[in-house]
Amino acid sequence: MTDAFNDHDERNVLAGELALRLLSPEEEVRARALQNTDPDFADQVEGWNAHLAAFADGIAPVEPSAGLWPRIDAATAPTANDNGRVAAFWRTWAIGATGLLAASVGAVAFLVAQPDPVVPPAPPAVVQGGVTRVATLALEDGAPILTIAYDTATGNLFLAPTTQLAGQDGVPHLWLVKPEGGVQLVGAITPGASSRLALTNILSGVAGEATAVAISIEPRGTTPAQDTPGGPVVASGEIQQL
Amino acid sequence: MAATLTRDELAVALGRTGLGDRAAFRIVYEATSAKLLGVCLRILADRQLAEDVLQDIYLTVWRKAETFDPARASPITWLVTIARNRSIDRLRSAAPMRKTTPVEDAHDLADAAPLASDILEHSDEVKRLNVCLSELDDKVRGVIRTAFMDGVTYDTLAQRENVPLGTMKSWIRRGLLRLRTCLDQ
Repeated sequence: MTDAFNDHDERNVLAGELALRLLSPEEEVRARALQNTDPDFADQVEGWNAHLAAFADGIAPVEPSAGLWPRIDAATAPTANDNGRVAAFWRTWAIGATGLLAASVGAVAFLVAQPDPVVPPAPPAVVQGGVTRVATLALEDGAPILTIAYDTATGNLFLAPTTQLAGQDGVPHLWLVKPEGGVQLVGAITPGASSRLALTNILSGVAGEATAVAISIEPRGTTPAQDTPGGPVVASGEIQQL
Repeated sequence: MAATLTRDELAVALGRTGLGDRAAFRIVYEATSAKLLGVCLRILADRQLAEDVLQDIYLTVWRKAETFDPARASPITWLVTIARNRSIDRLRSAAPMRKTTPVEDAHDLADAAPLASDILEHSDEVKRLNVCLSELDDKVRGVIRTAFMDGVTYDTLAQRENVPLGTMKSWIRRGLLRLRTCLDQ
C-alpha cells in the first residue's frame, strides 16, 4: 500500500471498506471487533451505510412470491409458550436453507471423517427443536484446522480441531462472529483434542445467531477480552445450518 | 402489493413492529419486500435462494426492530443494510455455487435497472451520492458501485478486473476517501 493516509483517513476508509464488505474474512473479523468496541468507528461505519444505501435506489424492486409472507407470518406467530419474538428467534435456523444444503452435507461428511471424533453418530434428522449448525475452518493454504457442530436444542458445541493448529506459536481461541457485528470469545482450543462444551445461556444465544466462527492465536499465559482478539486471526468460516 | 409509505410512516411502522405490533410488521413487509428482494437478487442471482434469505431478513427485522433508532438511521437504510449484509453472508457461505459476472456486465445490469424508488425517501442522499461519484474516475466509480451491488471482496474485484490486489485496494481506498470528503461537505 503506497497511499499515505493519516490515522483519521485510515479509520474512515476502513469503515467504508467494512460497510462495503470488501475485506477478507480475517480482516473483517478484526474490523468488526473494532466496530464493537469503538463507538466513533461504529458511527463511521453507520455513516457509510447511510451514504451507500443510496446505491440501492438503482436496483429495481422484485415482488416476492405470494407464499413468502404466510411463511414469515407463521414463523413469527405467537405460540402458547412464548411471545412470538422468541419463536422467530428459534425458527430462524429451521427454515430457508435450501441453498446451503449441499455445502452443509459436505461439512458433516468432513466432520465424520475427522480422526478420533467425539461427535456421536448423527441423531435422527427429526429431534424436537434440534437444529444443528456446522462450520469448517481452514488456514489460508486450505489445511483444515477445525470443524464445529452446534446443537441448538441442547446448547452443546462439539469441537473437532486437527493437529494443524499445534504448529502455531500461541494458544488458539475460538470466537463467534455476531450478525450485527462484533465477536464473542468462546474459549481456548486444544489442538488435536476433540471436545464438547455445554454453552451458558448467554453464549448459546450468541452461538445460535452467529454468522461465522474464527480462530485467533493468543500469546501463552494471556486471556483476551471477551469481545476483542488480542492476537492474529488465522482462520474463519461461515456457520451453515442444516 | 407494494405500498407507498413516506420515510416517517415507515419509521413509525418499524417502531411499532419493535413493540410486537404484527399489523405494523405486515405494513413494513408490504412496503419494503420488493425493494429488499431486488437487493438480495442483485447479490445472489438466484430467485429461490434470494427468497430464502429474504425470509431470514424479515425474521431478523421482527426480532431486531426494537433496536431501530429513527434518530440514527433512516428506516430504509436500516433495512437495506440488513438485506445486503445477510445476502453477502449467504453468498460467501455458498461461494463455490456462485457464477461470476464480469464487471462490465454488472455495470449494464445496474444501469439498465429502472430507478423505481417508491419507498426510498432519501432522494437527497441519492443525488448527493451521484454527484460525488461523478467526481471519481470512471473505473473507480465502476468498481465501488460493483462492490455495493454484487457484495464482492477486494480479491474478487481484482480478479474480475485482472489487476493486482494492491492496485484494486489503492483505487478503491483513494476513491472512498474522495467520496467521503465530498459527501461530508
